[in-house]
Amino acid sequence: MRSEGYLLKIFLVVYLLVFFGYLLGPLIVMSITAFNSPSFPKMTPWECLTFEWFDVLANDTRILNGIKNSLIIGVGTVILSVILGLAGALMLTQIWPKMRATYYTIVIAPILIPGVVLGISTLVFWDRINVMLGFETDSFLNNGIFLTILGQSTFIASYCMLVFIARLQRFDTGLTEAALDLGATNVQAFRKILLPFMKPAIGSAAVLAFLASFENYNTTTFTFGKFPTLTIELAQKVRYGINPSISSLAFIIIVLTVIGALAHEIYIRRQQLALANGAPVKAVANGFKLPRIFQGNPAAIILVLLALGGFSTIWFAQVYSPQECILDVREQKRILQQQKIDEIRQQRLQQQQQKKLQGPDIFGSDKKAPSGSGSAPQSPGKGAFGDIFAPKNLEKTAPDSQQDSKPKNPGKGAFGDIFAPKNLDKTGPQENTTD
Amino acid sequence: MSAVQILRNFFEKNGIGLGTFLLVAVFIWVVILIILPQLSMLDFSFRHHLPPPEMGGPKDTYTIEHYKYLVLGAPGADTSYNVVDLGVFGRTLIAAVFVTILDLILCYPLAYYLGQSKGGGFIRVLVLLLIIPYWINEILRAFAFRIIFGDSGLINEVLLTFGLINDPIDFIRANVALYAGLGYAYILLMIFPIYNVIESLDRNQIEAARDMGAPWWRIHWRVVIPYAKPGISSGCTMVFMLSAGALAAPQILGGPSSLWFTQIIYQWFNQGGNWPRGAAFAIVLLLTCIIIVLSMMRLFKVKIGDIGK
Repeated sequence: MRSEGYLLKIFLVVYLLVFFGYLLGPLIVMSITAFNSPSFPKMTPWECLTFEWFDVLANDTRILNGIKNSLIIGVGTVILSVILGLAGALMLTQIWPKMRATYYTIVIAPILIPGVVLGISTLVFWDRINVMLGFETDSFLNNGIFLTILGQSTFIASYCMLVFIARLQRFDTGLTEAALDLGATNVQAFRKILLPFMKPAIGSAAVLAFLASFENYNTTTFTFGKFPTLTIELAQKVRYGINPSISSLAFIIIVLTVIGALAHEIYIRRQQLALANGAPVKAVANGFKLPRIFQGNPAAIILVLLALGGFSTIWFAQVYSPQECILDVREQKRILQQQKIDEIRQQRLQQQQQKKLQGPDIFGSDKKAPSGSGSAPQSPGKGAFGDIFAPKNLEKTAPDSQQDSKPKNPGKGAFGDIFAPKNLDKTGPQENTTD
Repeated sequence: MSAVQILRNFFEKNGIGLGTFLLVAVFIWVVILIILPQLSMLDFSFRHHLPPPEMGGPKDTYTIEHYKYLVLGAPGADTSYNVVDLGVFGRTLIAAVFVTILDLILCYPLAYYLGQSKGGGFIRVLVLLLIIPYWINEILRAFAFRIIFGDSGLINEVLLTFGLINDPIDFIRANVALYAGLGYAYILLMIFPIYNVIESLDRNQIEAARDMGAPWWRIHWRVVIPYAKPGISSGCTMVFMLSAGALAAPQILGGPSSLWFTQIIYQWFNQGGNWPRGAAFAIVLLLTCIIIVLSMMRLFKVKIGDIGK
């Protein structure tokens, strides 16, 4: 029995590692690529630590415009869907029991309906209303922001409603009845009793709605019109050309998320601590008692470490310049390229020599190969290796090296004139003489 | 009770102001945002594809040409059925089922572990770690998988470095990246429903089964899974519907030769410009998904009210 439990424990640890590796690995990899210098986001090979992608991101007007649109739509969606969700949840508690199942099915359905379908139906419906009312095609009914807010609210309101239902289940209706008995009007009872009770749920529903709106793609992609949101811009960027500035955006979002989650965790912990110690919540919520927070609260420690790390990174980014390293890597690449070329050249020469040794007279192969120092290449401008080493080829194989260093002479690659056709003619014969 | 009386009771209970607000808000949501757009889309899918000036004119009659197109293909095509679109449709559904099963297998053990442990700091951290990826943008999550599975991505580079392969494996074309990305996107929707149900399972039941000498798999098969069925089916429903209706992940991670059905709909709307046909295809997708989900619920005897708990 004991060995079985031991096995189970090992299995559990391995499983947890695999699971959370799958869950967090991609995010970590993506974050790391934001700091690597190649222009395609990669983790391997690691080249240089760089912060230039954050600069690229900060100067990307389409992304910034997308963020603006996302914020506008997000705020609109939060307001609309919190109101609708609250009304929907309150209605559920009062609706005629026979209708309840049908009603619940209808208001929960938007969660299950594919987002694509919601987007299309919103677009089609308002377009036809527009035609029916005889408005121009650019009226507000066809406005991207209007349509997107409506389309997103359709299903985000359902999320909000679920949050409210969960909270309402713990509501003691006796409180409202007591208030009514004591002479409060319905509106007073609602405002003074129910609404304060629902306040935390309204807060979390608003956060949920905003995040859901911010990251929605399926519905928005049909309704955005002339107001692309951040997600739409990102999708277009990812589909038609990747560069690590997207990774840097992802990194920022991940860091914000982690900080938000930790702050929330700390907040909950502090409340629990306060309640456990018998203190009123307010007493602890205001004063900042560092030592106690740290006791048995890893989240707070992580948060502080994260903040320190963030500050030192920003400081480091100001001081550090990756230019030297990038040049270094370029140099290394050049050397590597050179080595490869030398190798190929050596092989070719060996082959030629072997052919010669095997009997050039019989096969006459030396007529084709440039043998000896004097023989001219068959095609002018091309060396013994065809056009493998023509300047343009180098541009293809080593695009990185082209970025900064402008070629001094037109027609010559970044490597100066090492690979100019004539060089081959020079080096070829020299090596020939060694045998 | 007549309808008028119900209404009067309702207003008596809530007062005029609040009662009107509730009715209006629910009416806007249910009728204007949910029901009418769906009906309008359904109606639209039976219309001819016409330029805007001719809409509402004499040519604007009902037709089933778009549904015909999905089944039979363009008139005068070589094949008697629309092999391409139907093939994509079938493949999408099968792939969505596959993703759902993958997620279920992956998530059930963790949901059980989380649900049966007594809480504590470690569990809280695990739950926090679970939630964090969910707040990251869908596009960015897909992008991360592209970095990992790309031709010069992490996996290929590592395999190449260790000499396990000679040429990069095309994970994108093989759809590995797509399945991994889709499964990843909806993990949380599978875990939490199951976790919520298992959390309420009385540990004594498991203890009792164990005392009676049941092996672990039998405990799960006879005690835990039957109890967790509402959670499992609710998670499966959501993952299935969302992955069948996914658009971003297939666009970013899908291979060049394999389309997702939503991508075809998207093309009819954005590139083809044939809205009625796109609407018809969307209706087909919606109805098929609903039928599949309802029949699964019937099969496993779960009610729709259990979803979303």
